[in-house]
Amino acid sequence: MKIEHLFVPLTCVLAVLLGESHLNAADAVMIDFTSQIRPILRDHCLDCHGGVKQAADLSFIHRDAALEVIEAGSPDESALIQRLRSKDADEVMPPPEHGSPLTGDEIKLLTRWVEQGAAWEQPWAYQPPLAPKPPSVSAAQWCQQPLDRFVLASLDQQRISPAPQAPPEQWLRRVTLDLTGLPPTPEQIQQFLKSVKTDGQDAYSNTVDELLKSPGYGERWASVWLDQVRYADSRGLGADGRREIWKYRDWVIDAINDDMPFDEFTIKQIAGDLLPSPTIDDRVATAVHRLTQTNEEGGTDDEEFRINAVLDRVSTVWQTWQGVTFGCVQCHAHPYDPLQHEDFYRFAAFFNNTSDCDLNSELPLLAVPVDPADNAKAGKLDQKITALQHSIWKRESAALDAPEANWQFLTAMTASANKSTEVAVEQRHDRAEYYTIDTLSSNTEITLEMPLKANSKRVTAIRITIAPGDPEKAKRDSEWGFVLSHVQATVINQKGETNPITFTRVIGDEAAPFKNPEDSLNDKTNNGFAAYSRIHYPRTAVFVLESGVEVAESSTLKIKFRNGVTELGAFPLIAKRGYVAVSREPIFKPLLNAPELLSDKQQLSFLRAERAMIPSSNIPVLSERPSHLKRPTHVFTRGLFLTKGKEVQPGVPAVLAPLPQPNNDATASDVSASRLELAHWLVNGENPLTARVTVNRVWARLFGAGIVATEEDFGSSGEPPSHPKLLDQLAFQFQNDFGWSQKQLVRTIVLSSTYRQDSKMRPELQETDATNRLLARGPRFRMPAEMIRDNALLISGLLSPQMHGVPVHPPIPGGVWKPFQGGDKWKTPEIGDSDRYRKSIYTYTKRSIPFPMFAAFDAPSREFCTPRRLRSNTPLQALMTLNDATFVECSKALAKKLLDSQPKLEAQLRYGFVAVTSREPNENEMKALAGLYKNCRQQQSNELDSMTAVTSVLLNLDESMSK
Amino acid sequence: MQREQLEQQIERQTLESRTRRHFLQNCATGLGGLWMATESQATDPAATKHNQLNPLNPSTPPLPAKVKRVIYLHMVGAPSQLELFDYKPELNALDGKDCPASFLEGKRFAFINGTPKMLGHQYKFQQHGKSGMWVSEQMPHLSKTVDDICFIKTMQTEQFNHGPAQLMVHTGASQMGSPSIGSWVTWGLGSENSDLPGFIVLLSGGRLPRVGKALWSSGFLPSVYQGVQCRSQGDPVLNASNPEGVSRQQRRQVLDTLEQLNRESHQQFGDPETLTRIAQYEMAFRMQTAAPEAMDLSSETADTLQAYGAEPGKESFANNCLLARRLVEKGVRFVQLFDWGWDTHGSNQGESLNHGFRKKCTQTDKPIAALLQDLRQRGLLEDTLVVWGGEFGRTPMRENRMGGTMAFMGRDHSPDAFTMWMAGAGVKGGYSHGVTDPVGYTPAENPVQLRDLHATLLHLMGFDHRKMSVPFKGLDQRLTGVKTATVIKDVLS
Repeated sequence: MKIEHLFVPLTCVLAVLLGESHLNAADAVMIDFTSQIRPILRDHCLDCHGGVKQAADLSFIHRDAALEVIEAGSPDESALIQRLRSKDADEVMPPPEHGSPLTGDEIKLLTRWVEQGAAWEQPWAYQPPLAPKPPSVSAAQWCQQPLDRFVLASLDQQRISPAPQAPPEQWLRRVTLDLTGLPPTPEQIQQFLKSVKTDGQDAYSNTVDELLKSPGYGERWASVWLDQVRYADSRGLGADGRREIWKYRDWVIDAINDDMPFDEFTIKQIAGDLLPSPTIDDRVATAVHRLTQTNEEGGTDDEEFRINAVLDRVSTVWQTWQGVTFGCVQCHAHPYDPLQHEDFYRFAAFFNNTSDCDLNSELPLLAVPVDPADNAKAGKLDQKITALQHSIWKRESAALDAPEANWQFLTAMTASANKSTEVAVEQRHDRAEYYTIDTLSSNTEITLEMPLKANSKRVTAIRITIAPGDPEKAKRDSEWGFVLSHVQATVINQKGETNPITFTRVIGDEAAPFKNPEDSLNDKTNNGFAAYSRIHYPRTAVFVLESGVEVAESSTLKIKFRNGVTELGAFPLIAKRGYVAVSREPIFKPLLNAPELLSDKQQLSFLRAERAMIPSSNIPVLSERPSHLKRPTHVFTRGLFLTKGKEVQPGVPAVLAPLPQPNNDATASDVSASRLELAHWLVNGENPLTARVTVNRVWARLFGAGIVATEEDFGSSGEPPSHPKLLDQLAFQFQNDFGWSQKQLVRTIVLSSTYRQDSKMRPELQETDATNRLLARGPRFRMPAEMIRDNALLISGLLSPQMHGVPVHPPIPGGVWKPFQGGDKWKTPEIGDSDRYRKSIYTYTKRSIPFPMFAAFDAPSREFCTPRRLRSNTPLQALMTLNDATFVECSKALAKKLLDSQPKLEAQLRYGFVAVTSREPNENEMKALAGLYKNCRQQQSNELDSMTAVTSVLLNLDESMSK
Repeated sequence: MQREQLEQQIERQTLESRTRRHFLQNCATGLGGLWMATESQATDPAATKHNQLNPLNPSTPPLPAKVKRVIYLHMVGAPSQLELFDYKPELNALDGKDCPASFLEGKRFAFINGTPKMLGHQYKFQQHGKSGMWVSEQMPHLSKTVDDICFIKTMQTEQFNHGPAQLMVHTGASQMGSPSIGSWVTWGLGSENSDLPGFIVLLSGGRLPRVGKALWSSGFLPSVYQGVQCRSQGDPVLNASNPEGVSRQQRRQVLDTLEQLNRESHQQFGDPETLTRIAQYEMAFRMQTAAPEAMDLSSETADTLQAYGAEPGKESFANNCLLARRLVEKGVRFVQLFDWGWDTHGSNQGESLNHGFRKKCTQTDKPIAALLQDLRQRGLLEDTLVVWGGEFGRTPMRENRMGGTMAFMGRDHSPDAFTMWMAGAGVKGGYSHGVTDPVGYTPAENPVQLRDLHATLLHLMGFDHRKMSVPFKGLDQRLTGVKTATVIKDVLS
């Protein structure tokens, strides 16, 4: 082993030091790995020697691996350089059939780099942001915010001056749209212009502070977040049924309006359920992970779609918080970035033990009070209920394996089943086990007859264990589970006389199961003791007899149980293997009838009744399975869930900072890291990506493109930042100075001189900077779908200010609403009903039938994380804003509003123009509008229709749809 | 401003933007910043032709192409290959016997459970045409056109549930969110008719496919390439009608004023997107007449209507076949039909081989045959390709849902072998590719993956599937995905 192997992983700088002794004076300029070497490796080498393909076991992703062919400091002895220089067609790299040879300059660069010690750097995004030194600039007085220095410095370099400051009304329009999703009203514009005259700069900052207080702020920025986390009100895939989860949407709006610090915002969403004494809101936040698609189509494997959901959670967390496409690591190591195949599954392990499993019922659900005023009370009740439920179960479940119970396995058995189900019996581990063979019929009844042992003079309890059909294999590949819908037992004596047994209690092996084991005693339901809906490990329940049964010599115990549940119209949940033990000890009744236990149980039912009184919306959330039923996580070979490789524990990629130490109770049996540690890891300040990705997202919404334009890819295949130091400055400020406050971040940006520039295109820059990556003008681009619709509603006076609540169904064209499930109705409120005019964020979002207006204007249909929207410009958009019911209503309402507002046509037109564009019309514009109105009037249109033609123009202006 | 002037102005800007840098920068504000990400787009001819005025402008594909347009007929629910095209005499001999264990090992099914019974063909097969292709008695009209048809008997898919499998067929991915074939193709080739959408979707059978619009979504491509559903009833294109009381003349006035004002704002801000918007409004205005005209069957002769079994004003598969011909005739690039109701499990009369299936055959047999004949007569088959298929096949076993006997005859989902066919430009007629095992359950030779079919479609339209890619989320995304796909050379004429 070469010596570098030992040292370099600790620090790459060391390698540079080692190499320095070889330097000639002429080579004193250090080669920069990131800008000079990595691009060569990426373009010429990584296709064969990268993360996916590692020909000859060689990879240039990590330095360690690359050192196989590099002698740091000695290019002539490095196989890398030798092969590059080789003239032999069999030797030279890359092989001629794989690509063109490297240029002489490229080989020289590599040679000098090896000579200098082959220093390596992680890709920029994996290095923590440091507070950069503000650069010196040509015009310090131009800079209103620290960030401006970075922008101006780069403009200085290009010898470009910034654009003049935007007229105040232009800035006001921009900032009002950006902060509230709505334009300023003509009155607000007037007022602002006045206060600029009197208060100067303060007018700007006062306005921003006011806008940040507006409830519209949370609604606008929630929509950005909901794109990331793929929020929809339907389930996706097979049947795309309705999903009640709008409480999460409201949580996001409120969290943003309350300026919940982004670290807290993160922790609650990743692991709110694992916080000590979680509140209702903490748990609502975890619904973010239940926005994954489920598949309700008949005959679909729930485990397959549960796993899909887990993998989507992994990808979404990476995409949203880390700006890295982790999805490709599902199948193999990352082709370009230092992320290993196993990293994906280690990360997946954090999410693999939640109790949701693609059930049509969407369990587990949280009852969220409809009125948030009830949240505190409900949260306290929930905490009490959970604690009591666990404490009761802990005491009761002693029955399962208390030594005093002296459980005796029954060692002989005959088994039979009805319908097409066949069963057989085998001896395993000194007990008799039945198992099913082949076809399983729905609603099968299985009957077991087991001779009781000679010493069983009495039976006080029966313990039934149900195991997977293939107990070994099921540990990694779970099977469909079972539900014992109804269990009956009798004792039959030698003479054939039967003595029915009455059970009084059933104690299962889980504190809070989806199905109540006691229901096994009730023939009227199909519920009961269950592994619902999958089984990995043997599951046990104790059936306690009302009173012990005396057993005569040579008696037989007969147990009959019905398997009444079938999943997805296809999969009968049948107990496929099982065995029985009996106890004759009189311990159960005293155990279960302990006075304290009984009073606790009574207390529990009081609490539950009280909780049930609070009107609530049941939404899917995360909860963790008990540790004794934990699902193991395996690497999926080539990403396929049916080919499981090695088992892994939760963890994060080695290239990033390690997880914080778990806060686990030292006595806890499960010491592996939880989602809570993961959540802290994302926001504890060591993570180099979270703050950068978050500020970049905010920047991109404000300026139209991110500092890293590929918002979804901060890895080496994404675009490098246009202003790396600006990004780091903002990221550093955000997580340090601002304490993760998004409002402070936004405030800083919108008050910057950069943001305040005039948005007029600069002809001299049209050639070199058409998309404003240099930031040499203010941002101007078409608004997102929701904003276009909300603008029309506000300007026409129709917009309802109501916030929150169940999704609404504004008008859609006839024939659009043909849901796969007929029950999902689109009930459009009548004209005049305020629910017809709610803000777009409250519109029912169905994945298979996107709201047509949103779909036309590039809103994503929210199946997966959408880091940024594209902006298209199409004829279907024109038809939408010209002819769609909402826009027609808006133009009529606006026309009426204008006609009613003042007597003079000119004033009416002027007001309308200002309302949609936020600026005064020029003479030509006034003429054009007046001309249209007069023409319509001349053609016998009445005033309202004529004005409606005008307002239809106003609402369709390119400028009304642009910020 | 006249359209020509506008075109000139934008053309000038486009010329100025010929360098890669310009191209990418324009896209960043216009059609999709996603093209900025990598070098690869610079050499993709499909990418460089998009202009600002009309992203659907027709363009020449990078490679020689035989197919200019596609009509894709999807039988939603997966029709049984064993009752239509894959004749297996040995299957009849096994009818009613227990399914051999070897057929079940390592397989997952939607509904079959334990050991089901084998199920013989439910209909008679006969050879047809010069080519002697086998077709069942349920397709008497189509049987007459087999010499135009190229069958693939060994299609395979990775999905055996409808939703994911339909997505696999149309987007190459089993989850929602990727662009569909029609989106890729219109992204690559634009449309020859600028007054109509380039990618049109027609539905019949009374229900929307399960995953709905995701089947004709543009995914991560700009939304201008998404399929546009056209309807036989109501507005043919959403919001094509002017609001009540607004005449076409009034609309013209509105648009003229709108253009004047937009030009003023272009003067003020100099944003080229404003000019694009003017052009889009003009296109919308033309679409308002072009779309209803294209969707109106009343101008067809009685003979044509009869040949298809079409009835103007109704929503039917027959109407949609005739509409498909009208649309490709007008230069629409990709016409996608979905016909619902082919999921023949045997769980009820409608979903059974002995009832519902026959009805579906009757509803589709004559119109498809008429479509092929009509296209041939009009010379359209020279450069139009018709594709027929479902999302997977059906098992040679009878379904035994929940371990019981079904009320009607039916088969479960089978992803390992199913039949699709193509007819028209670029493919061999009267030809059958791939052979299944003696019961039509798995391929015996020449298995064909959906991605191979996608590669073949792209090849026929002049694209190398390996090069037709868009960088998105750190990957060069392709219709054919990351696994190796191969053009099926044997089917090419």
